[in-house]
Amino acid sequence: MKKYILLTAAAGCLISLSACRGKASQVTAPDGTLDKCTLRFSWWGGDDRHQATLDAIELWNAQHPDITIVPEYGGWDGWTEKVTAQLSGGTEPDIMQINYDWLISFSQDGRGFYDLSLLEERLDLTQFDSEILQFGEVNGILNGITVSVSGRGLFYNADTYREIGAEYPETWRELLELGEKFSKEGKYPLDLDVQSGGTAWYLAVVYVQQQTGRQFITLDGELGFTEADIKTALDFYKSLEDNHIIRTVNTRTDEDGTAALYQSPEFISGRIGGVLEWGSSVGKYEISLADGVLESGPMLSDDSGNNSGWMIKPSLLYTISANTEYPDEAAEFMNFMLNDGEAAKLLGTTRGIPASSAAEKSLEENGLLTGLAQENDTLLETLDTVTISPYMELAQMKEFYNSAIERISYNAVTTESAAREMYGSIKDYLERIRK
Amino acid sequence: MKKIYRNPIGVKSYTGLLLIMPFIAGFLLFTAYPFVSSFVLGMTDYNGIGSPRITGADNYIRMLTDSGFLNAAGVTLKYTAVLVPLKLIFSLMAALVLNMQIRGMGVYRTIFYIPSILGSNLAVVIMWQFLFTSDGLANQLLEAIGLSPVSWYGNSAAAMGIIILLRLWEFGSTMIIFLNALRDIPREYYEAAKVDGCGRIRGFFSITLPLLKNVIFLNLVLQVIAAMQEFSAPYMITDGGPLKSTYTLGMLIYDEMFSYHNMGYANALSWVMFVLIALVVGLMTKLTGRGREEV
Repeated sequence: MKKYILLTAAAGCLISLSACRGKASQVTAPDGTLDKCTLRFSWWGGDDRHQATLDAIELWNAQHPDITIVPEYGGWDGWTEKVTAQLSGGTEPDIMQINYDWLISFSQDGRGFYDLSLLEERLDLTQFDSEILQFGEVNGILNGITVSVSGRGLFYNADTYREIGAEYPETWRELLELGEKFSKEGKYPLDLDVQSGGTAWYLAVVYVQQQTGRQFITLDGELGFTEADIKTALDFYKSLEDNHIIRTVNTRTDEDGTAALYQSPEFISGRIGGVLEWGSSVGKYEISLADGVLESGPMLSDDSGNNSGWMIKPSLLYTISANTEYPDEAAEFMNFMLNDGEAAKLLGTTRGIPASSAAEKSLEENGLLTGLAQENDTLLETLDTVTISPYMELAQMKEFYNSAIERISYNAVTTESAAREMYGSIKDYLERIRK
Repeated sequence: MKKIYRNPIGVKSYTGLLLIMPFIAGFLLFTAYPFVSSFVLGMTDYNGIGSPRITGADNYIRMLTDSGFLNAAGVTLKYTAVLVPLKLIFSLMAALVLNMQIRGMGVYRTIFYIPSILGSNLAVVIMWQFLFTSDGLANQLLEAIGLSPVSWYGNSAAAMGIIILLRLWEFGSTMIIFLNALRDIPREYYEAAKVDGCGRIRGFFSITLPLLKNVIFLNLVLQVIAAMQEFSAPYMITDGGPLKSTYTLGMLIYDEMFSYHNMGYANALSWVMFVLIALVVGLMTKLTGRGREEV
C-alpha cells in the first residue's frame, strides 16, 4: 500500500512540474489564410479608451464577419494580476494590450509571446520607425508592437487655478511656492497617486535626473542612482507634502480610501488642482471634469532653464499570444488596430499619439490630432528626454518606491534610513532578476 | 429479526465505486492534484511562465528572514485573535435575542441574516470605504455626539477596526448555527432551574453555555480558519495600509503570486499558512480537551 502511495505522490510531482507551461512546442505557425474564427482581445484603460476601442471592434466585426473579436477590458487596478493568471494557465486572449515591463516579466527569453516577425505578411511593420520597433524586442525576437510613445506630463484644472489666481508653475521652485496660496483656500496645486503606478516616486526621479544627469535605472537594468540620489529624491517628495503641494498619504487615504485619483471626489470637485499622468492615459482625468477644464502645463525645469530628465516610454504595446491557434487572423486584427485609417479615427488619441505613421496621418488629415495627448507629445519633443527602463516599472520595484514614500510620509522613518533600505533592496532585486 | 439486504441482480462489487466516481474524480482533480502541485511548486523557483527549477527548501528558508512574511503572519494572527472572540460573542448575543418568543421573530431573523448574504462584495466594500472616509458617516456620527473625528485609514488600529467591523457585520451564519443549537435546548431545563431559584444569568452560564460547548467549538474552528485566510476585505478597503498594518498572509500570497510572479514562493507561503491554521486549530482542540471526548 505504501508503495502505491509513494508512486502516486511521485507521479503527482512529475505531473505538477510538467504541467508548468513550456512554450516552444505549442506555437502555431502562420498558414497564410484567414479562417473563420473568434478571437479574444484584451486591454485596460479608462472609459474613453473602452468606448473608442469597442467602436473600432464594431467596425472590424462589420468588415470581417468571419473573424469575430470578443473584447475583454477593465481598469488598470488588478489587470496585471488577471493577465498573470491567464498567462500562467495558458488561457490568455489571442491579442493583448501589454505594458512595457511585461516583456521582462512574461517573456524573458523572447518566447513568452508570439514572434511577430513571422507575421509580416499581415502586419505592416513599415509604418513604424526601427527604433520604435526595438522597444518590443526581447532577445532579438519581436514580441510586441508599440502603440504609442508617451511621457508623463503635468495637467492642471484651469478653473481651480483661475479661482486661486495662480499661474501654472514652470520651475520646481515655482511649484513649491504655490502651496501657500492654495493652502489658504484648502486646496492643493497638485496631487500624486502613491499606489497606482508609483507616480509620486516618478516625479521625484525626474527632479534628481535633471539635477544629476544620471538615469535612475538604465535600460539594461542597472541602478544608476546612488544612495544619496535616492535620499535627495525622497527629501524632494517630503518637501512637496511639507509645502502643501500634494496631500500626505494619510490625508489622501482618509479622503479617498483606496479610490484612484481620477475617481476621487477631491479631484472631481476641483480641490486638487493638478495631476501627473501619461499623455496616453490622461483621458480618464479629462472626462472626469467639464470639457476643456483640464489643461496641459509646462514641464518643470530648474532655475537655469534645464528641463532634462523627463521620461518617455512606449506607453503600450500590442502582442499576440504564443498559444493562439489563429496567428494570421490575430495579426490581421492587430494591423487593423495599429494601421487602419478608419480605426485610427475611432480610436483617436485614447492610447496616445499613434506610433504608426499611417494612423498618425489619418488623425492629422481628419483634424483629430488635438487634445491633451497631442499637447503633451509636442511638449516632450522639445525636451532632452530619457527613455524609461522597463525594469523601473516592475511591480516589485513599485512596491519598493511606494513603501519608502508611505513610511516617510507617516514619519515612520527618516529619508536617510528609507534611502539606505531602498537602495539595498533595489540593487539586490535587480541583480537577482537579471541573472 | 435482522433484515438481510441482497445485492440486486447485475450489481457487481465495483458498482459502488462507479457510482461515487464523479466525486472521486472531482476530488482528485480539484483538491488532491492542486494540493500536491502546490507542495511541489513550493520547492521550486517557478515564475508562472518558464520551466520551474527545483530549489529544495530555499523558499522556506527565505521566509525566516523575510520581514514581509513575518509582518503578514503577525497581522493575520492579531486579526484572528481580535475578530474571532468578538464575532462569537456578538453572534451568540444576537442568537439569544432572536431565540426569544416574540411576534414577527421570523422577520427579525431574516433582517439579521441579510448582511451575511451580501457578504463583502464590491458594492458593500465601496459603501464601507466611504462610511469611513474623513467626511464619511462614521465621522459625522462621532462629531454629532461631540467626539473628534478619527483618521480611520491613517491609524493602524482604526484601519484594522474597519475590517473587523465589516466581518462582524456579517455575523449571520455564525448566529444561525448558535440559534439552531439554542432551539435544541429543552425549555424544561430552564423551568426546572427556575423552580430551584436560578436566575437568567446563572441559567445562561450553567445551562446554556455548557450545552452549547460543541457548537461554540465548531464556530470557533470555522471562524479561525476563515479569519486566517482573510484577503478580500483588507485588499479592497485598506490595501494593507497604513504601513502594512492590515497586510495579511492572504494578501502577501496574492502579491507574490500575481504581482511579483514568485509563484514558487507563493505556494510555499500557502503551505505555511495551511500548517499555521492546522497548528492553531490543533492547539484549540488540545486546550479545550476536544480530542479526548466525542463531539
